Amino acid sequence: MVKSPGRGKRLAMERSLLWLFEVGGASFAGGVIGAISGFGGGIVIVPVLTVFLGLPIQHTIGASIISVIAVSSGAGSVYVKDRITNIRIAMFLELSTALGAILGAAVLSRYLGGPSLYVLFGITLLLTLIPILANIHQELPENVRNDRLAAALRLNSSYFDHRLGREVSYQVTGIPQAMGIMGVAGVVSGLLGIGAGVVKVLAHEIYMKVPTKVSTATSNFMIGVTAASAAGVYLRRGAVLPYLVVPVATSVLAGAFLGTKLMERMSNARVRQVFAVALGVIGAQMLLRGLGGLRH
Amino acid sequence: MKEAERKRGDVEIHQASAWVLRAGVISSVSMMLLGLAISLFKDRPDVARMSSLGFKPDYLNILRQASRGNGLALIELGIFLLVLTPILRVAASMAIFAAHERDWFYAAVTFLVLLLTLASLLILR
Repeated sequence: MVKSPGRGKRLAMERSLLWLFEVGGASFAGGVIGAISGFGGGIVIVPVLTVFLGLPIQHTIGASIISVIAVSSGAGSVYVKDRITNIRIAMFLELSTALGAILGAAVLSRYLGGPSLYVLFGITLLLTLIPILANIHQELPENVRNDRLAAALRLNSSYFDHRLGREVSYQVTGIPQAMGIMGVAGVVSGLLGIGAGVVKVLAHEIYMKVPTKVSTATSNFMIGVTAASAAGVYLRRGAVLPYLVVPVATSVLAGAFLGTKLMERMSNARVRQVFAVALGVIGAQMLLRGLGGLRH
Repeated sequence: MKEAERKRGDVEIHQASAWVLRAGVISSVSMMLLGLAISLFKDRPDVARMSSLGFKPDYLNILRQASRGNGLALIELGIFLLVLTPILRVAASMAIFAAHERDWFYAAVTFLVLLLTLASLLILR
């Protein structure tokens, strides 16, 4: 049977459009979850594109780093305007992340790396679930006093909580520990080429004891900078595919805007639950990826 | 008095950062979508091509092609703009910390972040 060339052309165009919509649909969910939980949404995008759409992992990771930037900037523009993000905390801690990232990528990657690093990182993340689960129902941290550094740096602030219907003031503690953890987050993202947003939320949550909405919004704000500095590597490797990035970036952005609206209406306890589930999934993913690599 | 001043400065930093982020994502995504629309009609890429075609970050060439209305180059320019957005946001906060608030400590912190971010964007393999 001979098909007319016009029909074949139209069929190819339909397939191309369908593919764009499939990639876009998968990315939308990543944007929603990424915006609520404070990391870019790569945890949804990478497995869905790899497993269901059969794209090679190095290309999905390239698209994921771009999507982290889109989620961070899109959700960030809302959280920052609504003043949930604490810009002073973000700027101060970005310094140790940026130092860690350079140290990780330029120096440590020569000695460390590979599957065992994923295993170690996965186990660490799963262990951090314990303190998160212990406080899973807590709405706001109690009895937090500024430590000396936080007072000197004027990190305490307040935000308007739509759920509680009032302005919530908070103090900040554990700055030295948080700086250490943020440095580690930087090293991890430099070594593994990931945004490491999950580690940032943990530092806010466990050591600095800021309200969960402030931790995820502030972490979301920070990951864009870390991802942007890592993006250069992926661009030079040719791992960023333009036709793949368009549906991914457009839909994660739409998802992120929806995510911010949902998050602002949620309770802090609910946001923490979303974060805890995502944390468990990432930890398990890292662990499995590492164990898979060790076997080969 | 001082507290009130600080609050006002904080509002400005928040507004400026939000504006930079929003302008960055909206312009980069519109550029990508325009590029995709042009490219779909002109180049008619099939699924195999779309899921494998990479690009070299040769920005002068991309800029030249994009100004001629090349769809793919417009997408690439949009990607570059998106990557720049968080960095421009850091630059904007630095400018406000320094010029508006005269908060030299945070201006210096932001400057260092900017420097380190640009360094890793440009230098790392």
